[in-house]
Amino acid sequence: MRLTVPIRAVFWLEIQSLLRDPRTLLISVVLPIVLIPAILIAGNWVEERETRAAEALTFRLAVEGERADLARSLLNTQAPNSGESLDSRFQLVSVEDPWEALASGRIDVILEGMDAEGWRQGVRDGSIEPGATDPPPELEGAPRMRLHFHSNRTASREGAQALRTRLLDTREARRDSILLAAGLPAPPENILVVEAVNVAGPEAMEGALLGRFLTLILLGLMALGGSALATDTLAGEKERGTLNTLLTAAARRQEIISGKLLAIMAVAFGIALVQVLNLWFFLGLGIVDIGGAFAVRVPTEAALLLLVLYLPAVALVSGILLLTSAYARSYKEAQLYLTPVLLGLIIPSLAPLLPGISLQSAIILIPIANLGVAVRDVMMGDVQPGWILGAWIVTALAAAWVTRRSVLALEDENLILGERSVEEHTGGEGLFRRRVVVWILVLWAVKILVNFNLPFTDIRLVSLVSVGLLFTLFPLAAILRFRLPVREALALRMPHPGVWIGVLLGVPAGILTVLGVFQLVDTVIPVPTEMLESLGQALMPEEIPLWHLLIVIALVPGIAEELTFRGVILHGLRRRLTPVALALVVGIIFGMFHFSLFRIPTTAVLGVILTAVTLLTGSIFPAMVWHVLNNALAVLAGRDALPGVDSQWFAEGVGWEWSLAGVGLLLVSFAIIWRFRTPYPDVGPPGPPGGAMSRT
Amino acid sequence: MSEPLVRTRDLTKVFYEESRGEVRAVDGVDLICNGGEILGLLGANGAGKTTTLRMLSTILRPTSGEAWIVGHEVRNAPEQVRENLGFYSASTALYPKITARETLRFFCRVNRYPRGKVEDRVEELIESFGIRDFADSRVEKLSSGMKQKVSIARTVAHDPPVLIFDEPTVALDVLNAIELRRIIERLRDRGKAILFSTHIMSEAEQLCDRIAIIHHGRILAVGTLQELRDTTGHHYLEEIFVHFARTREPSEAQGEAERPGETGP
Repeated sequence: MRLTVPIRAVFWLEIQSLLRDPRTLLISVVLPIVLIPAILIAGNWVEERETRAAEALTFRLAVEGERADLARSLLNTQAPNSGESLDSRFQLVSVEDPWEALASGRIDVILEGMDAEGWRQGVRDGSIEPGATDPPPELEGAPRMRLHFHSNRTASREGAQALRTRLLDTREARRDSILLAAGLPAPPENILVVEAVNVAGPEAMEGALLGRFLTLILLGLMALGGSALATDTLAGEKERGTLNTLLTAAARRQEIISGKLLAIMAVAFGIALVQVLNLWFFLGLGIVDIGGAFAVRVPTEAALLLLVLYLPAVALVSGILLLTSAYARSYKEAQLYLTPVLLGLIIPSLAPLLPGISLQSAIILIPIANLGVAVRDVMMGDVQPGWILGAWIVTALAAAWVTRRSVLALEDENLILGERSVEEHTGGEGLFRRRVVVWILVLWAVKILVNFNLPFTDIRLVSLVSVGLLFTLFPLAAILRFRLPVREALALRMPHPGVWIGVLLGVPAGILTVLGVFQLVDTVIPVPTEMLESLGQALMPEEIPLWHLLIVIALVPGIAEELTFRGVILHGLRRRLTPVALALVVGIIFGMFHFSLFRIPTTAVLGVILTAVTLLTGSIFPAMVWHVLNNALAVLAGRDALPGVDSQWFAEGVGWEWSLAGVGLLLVSFAIIWRFRTPYPDVGPPGPPGGAMSRT
Repeated sequence: MSEPLVRTRDLTKVFYEESRGEVRAVDGVDLICNGGEILGLLGANGAGKTTTLRMLSTILRPTSGEAWIVGHEVRNAPEQVRENLGFYSASTALYPKITARETLRFFCRVNRYPRGKVEDRVEELIESFGIRDFADSRVEKLSSGMKQKVSIARTVAHDPPVLIFDEPTVALDVLNAIELRRIIERLRDRGKAILFSTHIMSEAEQLCDRIAIIHHGRILAVGTLQELRDTTGHHYLEEIFVHFARTREPSEAQGEAERPGETGP
């Protein structure tokens, strides 16, 4: 795309307007700049404050019980690792009723020293519940230290926790020294030492934490900042009346939309850039000291990689925002639409929060979600270039598609003015032309569902329902829904009588040609003979009378399928493609409705022939007759009911010379049809498209 | 005679409205407007004036029929059409956050005015439309009279041969309306082809060289005021308008009744 003068003019207009409006300036520029430092600094402050508060906490402790002496002596032992004395944090107090004092919060912890006998007594009379930490029988006589605390109070909870750790350490040290003094009867290799070592290290851990949230924060900011501009730019212009002014300027609509899109992208990119720069500044260079709690470091290469990763996200978010604004008729409507759109953008950016999610999964196919996971990996220092590139490409493709859509949005008069065309409301030809592709896809899905879910297997019923009924209802539905003129939609016109000679000649020629195509397919993808026989058996079971088969395999499909494919589908597609392309496309669509890999090419060829005949004669009848005769001949040949035709041909092929002869005969048949042609009216894209549609 | 700057043939626009169904807002309109001429489009509200002018300015696509601006067809060459026309209406607004000068510069650029000449053109416009004093104030801070001057200046920014004024005086006070009409006359005298729509009879009488009376989407009569007087025998435009509207009303009503359900070609 060339940056033309109008594109640049629109771009600068948007940026100027943004920078001169305090509200949008605040949301789109100021907020994104200060948010990450604010989060970092605030997070740090909170963490430091909590640490300090915890450190400043003193625990009031009372000692109780028959072995209070042992408890006191334990407290006075120096900590085995730190050498720290308990006294600094624990304040030993004596109260008259320690239990009442603990309940009322005047003290935090009671350390109760008990003899084994006292403990057993307590268990017996129910005042002590035996715990899970009952000692092994050999240690039956050991004294017990019970910690009483109140879990609702921080000081009590923390104090008990700290005291417990401390006592356990002391006990362990004491035990070890006793064992050593006794000459260590147990060999040291039998003693298990358990130690947990976090190999991730603090950087990877905090990198993962920050990486998980980074995309969410960034997407949120981009969407918020971009939406301020996006709402103003199209919906706002519609409301103010400036869009009308702009649309009467000589600039192409594509130039206008490009300028606007670039402006939103500049804002979104600016936001991404500011965030990455923030990380690099604070966590990469450490230029500004935000305190030491953050172990994560963002080196320059990682910062650059993040920026590149966010590029397609920038384009995608901008495109979606502009598209939303284009669809809204007013500012208010745009804001209404934006809430779900913003949510929709945020949801995929939650992906890196999923436990255990890896880029090497289906997540790589979801735009934004894949980038989120990739960013987390980068922040953890785990860069897998191939997968990251894949994620990038997927999101970039989505962005390209959305961008294209938003460019087209301004070319749609309904979206510009909020006025609806007649067709949009009353149905009609034009609407059918726009919807026909969707209708074909739906028909295809329905056909698959019907084919694989029919509750019966009798070929007669299957054919009547999945072919006869389906392909009759489809044209009927289209005609009713779009109020199509029946005669034109189904091409119910009489062709020139001479055409019939061509058709009669063409049917056997077509079969030979199709068999040739089948041979061709067979050389590329060999089709197992058993498969063909089973298909033959499935299509034409021995026990069904021939005339039944002629009806359900020749007559019904010949008529119904033609009504659908050479009828409404051809009618709907006729203005989109040139005649040759139409014959190919409708033929291939026809093939795609025969869900068997080796039947698709052959039926597609038949489809192309039948479409070509319809286009040349402007009538559905020759194709119908051709189709019925074609299928009838196949049935008769399959039943060995044709003199001089071997049913094995269909399984083994007819040989190249026959196929070539078939092609030759087909050409003659088409020459005859061409001679008497009365072409299908109104085919092909209309002249040079309206200038508004012209594209660079 | 050379090709007129504005010409339409059988121009038609069909809308769909929930309440009324299919509406032929403009129905087979044939018009011609030459350089140095003001053609008035006179009609009541909803007569099809704005829709006609919107089709001419390529905002709307005609349902059928054709229209040419300086020889370019609106559907086939919309960009060339827009390069050759300026569109002004009471509802076209300006961008609030930029200054008058920036506004003119912007419209020169989006209208592809030759790059090197933009600044000179902006100066020229500022001078000739009396914008100098507030050229560097933001549009949002200007009075309505000032805005009007900027609006007209931006309409002619790229010096197009055809100008469309769609009910331009509708929201103006008397003095501003007089000022605007004077500017339009001046533009006519410089050879512009001007289409001017209004529902105010006196305005059409004073300003327009020829008047097209439009009613229910159809042109009932076109001519100079004198020609219209001669045809109808009435002196005042109001009487002339009523004369045509009355004589065509019954058949119109009938025509409308027959049409529903019919789809545009």
